[in-house]
Amino acid sequence: MILRAEQIRKSYHNEKSVLSNVNLTIEQGQFVALLGPSGSGKTTLLRCLTLLEKPSAGRIYFNETELLNLSAKQTVEVRRKWAYIGQRTSLIRRKSALNNVLAGRLNEMPLWKVILGNFPDADKEKALQALERVGLKDMAHQRADRLSGGQQQRVAIARAIVQEAVVIYADEPVASLDPESAKRVLADLRMLCEETGTTILCSLHQVDLAETYATRIVGLSDGKIALDIPARLLTEEEKDRIYTREEQTNGDSRTKTTTS
Amino acid sequence: MNKKFVKRWAIGIGVVLAYAIMWNVAQVDLIRLWQGIPRMLNWLSRSWPPDITEVSTFLLRALETISIATLGTTVAAICALPLAFLAARNIHSNRLVYQITRSILNILRGTDSFVFALILVAAVGLGPFAGMLGVAIHTTGSMAKMFAEWMENSDQTSLEALHASGVSKSKTIVYALLPNAWPNFTSIALYFWEFNVRASTVLGIVGAGGIGMELKNSMDLLNFSRLFMILLIIWGMVTIIDQLSASLQRRLQ
Repeated sequence: MILRAEQIRKSYHNEKSVLSNVNLTIEQGQFVALLGPSGSGKTTLLRCLTLLEKPSAGRIYFNETELLNLSAKQTVEVRRKWAYIGQRTSLIRRKSALNNVLAGRLNEMPLWKVILGNFPDADKEKALQALERVGLKDMAHQRADRLSGGQQQRVAIARAIVQEAVVIYADEPVASLDPESAKRVLADLRMLCEETGTTILCSLHQVDLAETYATRIVGLSDGKIALDIPARLLTEEEKDRIYTREEQTNGDSRTKTTTS
Repeated sequence: MNKKFVKRWAIGIGVVLAYAIMWNVAQVDLIRLWQGIPRMLNWLSRSWPPDITEVSTFLLRALETISIATLGTTVAAICALPLAFLAARNIHSNRLVYQITRSILNILRGTDSFVFALILVAAVGLGPFAGMLGVAIHTTGSMAKMFAEWMENSDQTSLEALHASGVSKSKTIVYALLPNAWPNFTSIALYFWEFNVRASTVLGIVGAGGIGMELKNSMDLLNFSRLFMILLIIWGMVTIIDQLSASLQRRLQ
């Protein structure tokens, strides 16, 4: 058990809960795909687990440490083991791919070295190797905003490699990518999961991608866990369990806006 | 439906009323404008040809105006940068510091360079130095506010990704925020530079240096060919500065 969420509830301004009593235990080395229609609470769950938002109730454990009562300093310590990849690019637009990957070493550097931009050669070597693992070594000196969307997400993965992140949280990392680029990004995450034992929690809205690349599928529907199975082709009945609620709540703009 | 209808009419009448009051307060008088036209045409005819005898003096005064605006804007940019960090809600969470900084910036921004110059002439004496200080003080307020707003609205995802990985705020600012901010901050500074060159042309009226002093002298003497020459130089100066600024802006992209 690397990560455990117990009875997580989240609501905004006393409105209907976005998450209601979510229980989730994730083992080290799992690639968990979090499936669900928009408005089902995927983003909110990820933001709660990464402490970017505070749940209204519940407990979160990372390696047996309870996270919600940690001091700011302890939170920073825990976060050093995490990497976060967002839907839109999370890169520093005007820096090169290499320098973006090197951002994964910022925690190990004193501030004055960051100001001088003076990374040790060993770090640069590591960063280049990480870029090679995601197939982007040739792009090392390209500015991040000159890369395609898929390449940008793979640079973010390389950054997580260099950071030696134990868990990667990815919030719809392929939502705005074409199918081919989406597959490359997820293949790289899977590679990291298999070769390094990195735990991955990745929200997706395409069922087929979850079936292909994840090791476990968790379906979220209307803020509740509707499905939790090892990754395989989902049956129609299983898909219905995640997605039929959507039709009923389609006109409900409130649940959509609070989670997207 | 009726309620909405009444509300719309009430708003409409209110707006018309407000304009009517202001029309009166501002003493808008179209007859006086009509009567003034012959006088202005007369001035216009007397302004040709422009009086070129003092061009070298005017050019020197124009250089003074450009110096006031350029130095004032540069000093303002240097002062605005640290203030902007204190005035940006996403940089720190100290509400008190935020409120105090914002209030100070609003006072600086709300008082025109011209007004500061008027006061500073009394403090440091007549001349362009007072003008430069006035421009610097007012622009610091405006620029810091725009810097701060840029930071608050800038792309948060890259900052959040680092934050979520335990990278400290100061390192995030140095490594992720500033590299993205420089081109925008420079662009904002160039905008204020252009603006200040135009605004500084009137500083001479309160004795704070620059070409405005000559402008006022000509008007006092009703010497329109001299006045016209000064205006030509101002137009030339503003055009050159705008072109220069635009070409620098393009290079930033």
